Amino acid sequence: MIFNYITSVLLIVLGLYTVCAKRNLIKIVLGLGITDYGINMLIVSIGYNYGGTAPIYAQDLFNVGNSTAFVDPVPQALTLTSIVISACVDAMALALVIMVNKRYKSIDANEIRRLKG
Amino acid sequence: MSSFFQIIENIVKAMIFPGLLYATAGGLLLAGLDRKIIARMQRRVGPPVLQPTYDFLKLCGKETIVPHVANKPVFLAAPFVGYVSLVVMMLLIPIGGYSAFSGKADLIVILYLLTIPAVAMIVGGSASGSPFAGIGISREMVTMMAYELPLIIVFLSVAKLVGGDSMNFSLQDITAWQEQNGPVIFSLSMIPAAIAMLLIIPAEVGMQPFDVAEAETEICEGPLVEYSGFPLGMFKLGTAVRIFVMTSLFTSLFLGGITSGIHIGWTVCGVYVGDLLVRGLIHFAICAVITLLCMTFIHAITARLKIEHLFKFYWTVVAGLSLISLILVWIGV
Amino acid sequence: MNYTHFPVISVMGLFLGAFLVEVFGSKNKYIRNTIVLLITTCAAGLMLYLVKPVFIDGQIISYWMGNWEPVEGYAIGIGYEIDALGMFFVILTVLTIWLAAVYSIKYMEKDSHLGHYYTLFLMLSGSVLGLVCTGDIFNMFVMIEIMTFAAVALTAFRNKKGAHLEAAFKYLVVGCVGSGFTLAGIVLLYMQCHTLNMAQLASILHGNLTPVSVLALALMFTGFGVKSFIVPFHAPAADAYMSAPTSISMVFSGIVNKAGVYGMIRLLFVVFRVMDISSVQIMVVLFGVVTMFIGVTMALAQHDFKRLLAFHSISQIGYVITAVGICSMKGVVSGLFHAANHTLFKGLLFLCAGAVLYSTGTADLDKLGGLSKKMPKTTICFLIGAFSISGLPPFNGFASKWMIYQSLYDKAVTTGNFFYIFALVCAVVVSVMTLASFIKVTQAVFFGQTPAALKETHEVPFLMRLPMWIMSLLCVGCGIFYRFTGNNLLLPAMKSTFNITSYIDKMMGEGTAAASGIENITIHAETGFEYWEPVIWLVLFVTVLLAVFIVTLIGRRDRGKVLSTKEEADGKYATFFSGEKSSHSHVAGSDLFWGFKRNWKGYFNVMQKFHSGNVNDYSLMAVCCCALVIVFTYIVLL
Repeated sequence: MIFNYITSVLLIVLGLYTVCAKRNLIKIVLGLGITDYGINMLIVSIGYNYGGTAPIYAQDLFNVGNSTAFVDPVPQALTLTSIVISACVDAMALALVIMVNKRYKSIDANEIRRLKG
Repeated sequence: MSSFFQIIENIVKAMIFPGLLYATAGGLLLAGLDRKIIARMQRRVGPPVLQPTYDFLKLCGKETIVPHVANKPVFLAAPFVGYVSLVVMMLLIPIGGYSAFSGKADLIVILYLLTIPAVAMIVGGSASGSPFAGIGISREMVTMMAYELPLIIVFLSVAKLVGGDSMNFSLQDITAWQEQNGPVIFSLSMIPAAIAMLLIIPAEVGMQPFDVAEAETEICEGPLVEYSGFPLGMFKLGTAVRIFVMTSLFTSLFLGGITSGIHIGWTVCGVYVGDLLVRGLIHFAICAVITLLCMTFIHAITARLKIEHLFKFYWTVVAGLSLISLILVWIGV
Repeated sequence: MNYTHFPVISVMGLFLGAFLVEVFGSKNKYIRNTIVLLITTCAAGLMLYLVKPVFIDGQIISYWMGNWEPVEGYAIGIGYEIDALGMFFVILTVLTIWLAAVYSIKYMEKDSHLGHYYTLFLMLSGSVLGLVCTGDIFNMFVMIEIMTFAAVALTAFRNKKGAHLEAAFKYLVVGCVGSGFTLAGIVLLYMQCHTLNMAQLASILHGNLTPVSVLALALMFTGFGVKSFIVPFHAPAADAYMSAPTSISMVFSGIVNKAGVYGMIRLLFVVFRVMDISSVQIMVVLFGVVTMFIGVTMALAQHDFKRLLAFHSISQIGYVITAVGICSMKGVVSGLFHAANHTLFKGLLFLCAGAVLYSTGTADLDKLGGLSKKMPKTTICFLIGAFSISGLPPFNGFASKWMIYQSLYDKAVTTGNFFYIFALVCAVVVSVMTLASFIKVTQAVFFGQTPAALKETHEVPFLMRLPMWIMSLLCVGCGIFYRFTGNNLLLPAMKSTFNITSYIDKMMGEGTAAASGIENITIHAETGFEYWEPVIWLVLFVTVLLAVFIVTLIGRRDRGKVLSTKEEADGKYATFFSGEKSSHSHVAGSDLFWGFKRNWKGYFNVMQKFHSGNVNDYSLMAVCCCALVIVFTYIVLL
């Protein structure tokens, strides 16, 4: 389990590093995506119980002592929502990058800075 | 019936003492005294003390010209707003321990009410559309930014000294405290703040060497360049009242409670008219001395500063002085 | 009437409206306008109906989606819960969206693809309303994300200019970094508490902070900070406010950044209840002070009307954060009041900027001038807004700023901490600088001389002026009758910020709060603001003004005739120009405050480097700030 958490933190850090350090707008968008995947992985890992099953197969749903019997369904629902949202982010960001490229003839973050100061 | 008398009393307060009449007459006299004494210091005979009054009356008879690029309503309303807000401020400041409406405003309210006349002048000047006025309002605004920082620190140090561990911005309570414990200026830690306040007054009023906004030899009176006739007279009147308001504020902050022991006992309709008369006169005398100290002497011996020097002076020297007071009061010296 | 359904109907109604506009309204403008006005009016009406139960009867309205009530003390479904604090922000939201909808009808009529515009607008409105209504923290995150998308898309709506797209991209990147932090924080909270309901989170987390929940706190604080655009996350905000259509800029500054502030208050006061720790207070106040100072100094250097307003928006949010960070009862009251006032006056100012842009086609301060003769009504509205934001008595900005100063001083003397005095002095100086930069706008846009290109400018249509008049009236009204606002809106909102037992009990069942050891604190009805009587001041002002007027009229009968503005050939009515023939000589915005700018040259140079325009730098600032907040909270809270 600890491996999951380490991987997700690494993904988040990698994504943020990409957003902060890469000048290419496409790479920035990819960085945002990687961050989101890291967070999604964190969510799924939280809900997962080793050896658990889906809640509808669990015999005793409200038995507190038997909590390892099923996998928590809420984080999975959250992950689905989060995936949908990050897909929206990526679509919109890429659309913006295309438009920016049309207007500026460049996708270098250093050249796309007419608004400053 | 009593409410009727109350209304009458309040109207008398607003119109005569310490309102319209007292403030205007006092302000004009102070402005006249200032001019007279400067003339004596420069070995001239100087104008009569009533010269500002004559000037105002003369301006009333002159034609009012509104330039065609000006926004007429704003241009004409600005002098009135400035003058009237100053007169109303006079009502909110305790005069010789007597407070007309001073329970209705505290120091921070006063700080902000003080900006109204300045803003009226700026907006009026701006509405005239003159380029000289444009430069003038910019300088007036920078002057305001310059003195606002030391002013708030002075106010805070007085409030801390008077209030101790409770909040006290009320001018009434500051006066009451001084009646008990003696004037604020007698406590050693407040002397830098008092000096800072004395240096703020000429900038607030727009007197040399801090008259960069109006610099008549340079930008032709800045915001006032297009004003003529009665509105110009209103502005001049406003400047005169502002001298009185600022010196009164200094008096009630640092020299309060001096006149509280005086009792004459001459009453009209249950009001101690004699007390008010004497206190009003003494208050005026103190204000005259302060005007002399902080404006006339400095005016007579200095030349006008540049705007960036003015800003630097207030944010370093004056703010530093007031900060010394605040820190001293804060650590309880 | 069963009004517990109203919040969800309003939120869903707005989203449904977004759908309907896209389907039916993309061609026909009458259908489109009808749908938008109908939906926003219904949402506003339904939500305002709740003012009576929430504020007057003191109820809390809760609603479980699909009737999924808590099972054995664990909240499973999504719950909507509106207490007085939420209701306060709901009022701001519905007011702003209604006015923005009315304003958009005329303002946007020259643009194409208006179906998309209104779709995004209604989505933005619905998401902000949902955000302040919801009691579920993940639902809050979803609403934040919808809000960010709609806002980004609207920023790029007028995509003829590259700069607008650039602004949208920066907003999207920094906004998504912030949302990522928020989501990570929410997930960590779920890991700790196994619930997403804020009421239940509050009861579980009370006195129970672990390293995981502290990390969650830091991440979510940063996330909401990004959404409320406090420094150092402010740079994309200035770009976005400038680039978006003005009706949307008003929504941005009126409610979108308030949503972040609301989230922050909810988080710090209700969910985590960490605000009674003095170091956290200092951290929040420090954020506020830095925000207000950097915002206003940057505004002084701007040449674009809307960009200047955007930086002022940031600066005023700094006031709100400062006041909320004081965490005294006075502080929270004044912070909420300033939030409301900021919505009013900044909305008004943006609408005025929009009117100028609509009439002249430019918002560049150096190209405008002398519009007060062409657009007198806009000028009056603008002056009211400018005086309000710079805190001139008796307008509303003064009332709330005055309350903030009182609270800061009170905090300083009760804690003996000199830092709060520093904050107070800073706030006063910022207020004067605000005045200065609005004087600059007044001079550059409305007064002075009209450039030749603007001779044919006209006043804007009535439908655009109507929202401006409503906002002006509210600005003046809130300033003069601030006690009324204070007692009826702010006190209940402040009480529900501090006393959350009923918030928890309403949602999770009676006795939950008591079981987890949360108790109500006593709140004095007296807030301690008694030394400002705007009504008396106004009465005195009018009396003296009347007296002066009467004296004037008696003094000279023909005064009315003398005051004429007829143009004459002899130049008597021309402006004085050193004896030369007067030419066009307008003192524009960039000419003002020369001495000040010269004295502050070093500072401005540093700030220019800070706002480099590079999206990498902005996201790096956000990440670094998040790291600092994490370190700080770990040191302080563990």
